[in-house]
Amino acid sequence: MKVTIQKWIGVASWKWQVNDDNCGICRMPFDSCCPECKLPGDDCTIVWGECSHCFHVHCILKWLQSQNYQDQTCPMCRQSWKFKTH
Amino acid sequence: MSTPARRRLMRDFKKLQEDPPAGVSGAPTEDNILIWNAVIFGPHDTPFEDGTFKLTIRFTEDYPNKPPAVRFVSKMFHPNVYADGGICLDILQNRWSPTYDVSAILTSIQSLLDEPNPNSPANSLAAQLYQQNKREYEKKVSAIVEESWMNE
Repeated sequence: MKVTIQKWIGVASWKWQVNDDNCGICRMPFDSCCPECKLPGDDCTIVWGECSHCFHVHCILKWLQSQNYQDQTCPMCRQSWKFKTH
Repeated sequence: MSTPARRRLMRDFKKLQEDPPAGVSGAPTEDNILIWNAVIFGPHDTPFEDGTFKLTIRFTEDYPNKPPAVRFVSKMFHPNVYADGGICLDILQNRWSPTYDVSAILTSIQSLLDEPNPNSPANSLAAQLYQQNKREYEKKVSAIVEESWMNE
């Protein structure tokens, strides 16, 4: 028997690998986006600090911008905030 | 109008209803979600026991990146509460974190009642009596506890 595929539709799902369900700043689920965005994903990513806490990038940036440079700390543990790069 | 601050406050309100902390309650006013009324019940086994202390919480569109202004409406006698009801509490000032929510704010104020910080007095008489004359302090506190039941 010969089968001819005439059409196929691929579906993929994705999920952030995070310890927490919600962003500690906006309290929205990480699988959703920050309150300023419409769609989750690359446009509203999650970032980690060297202290290992994570937030929506827009949420942590807004917090850091509202602080003086020397007070730019992690909202969870108050360690000085450094973006984790890897 | 939905802004990030207002959406966050809706989530705070939902959490407060679904998972209410003991001895505190709060809700936004009918026409402005940025202004809340709250009540803190005086904790058991403290001079504040049985008091029902009313507060207002005023948020700005910068919430949660900036703390709200919290003020006792009921008369208060406490080393860290100013005569106008303003509260001297580090987490509402320089130790604020955007991870705090209404529930955390109210429970922190509730625990401040019995754990004053006499080193940063907002009411010098209350601070002095707290340190030097507990009996007189407790008498003054019972007076405001009784007053908290009036002017409904």
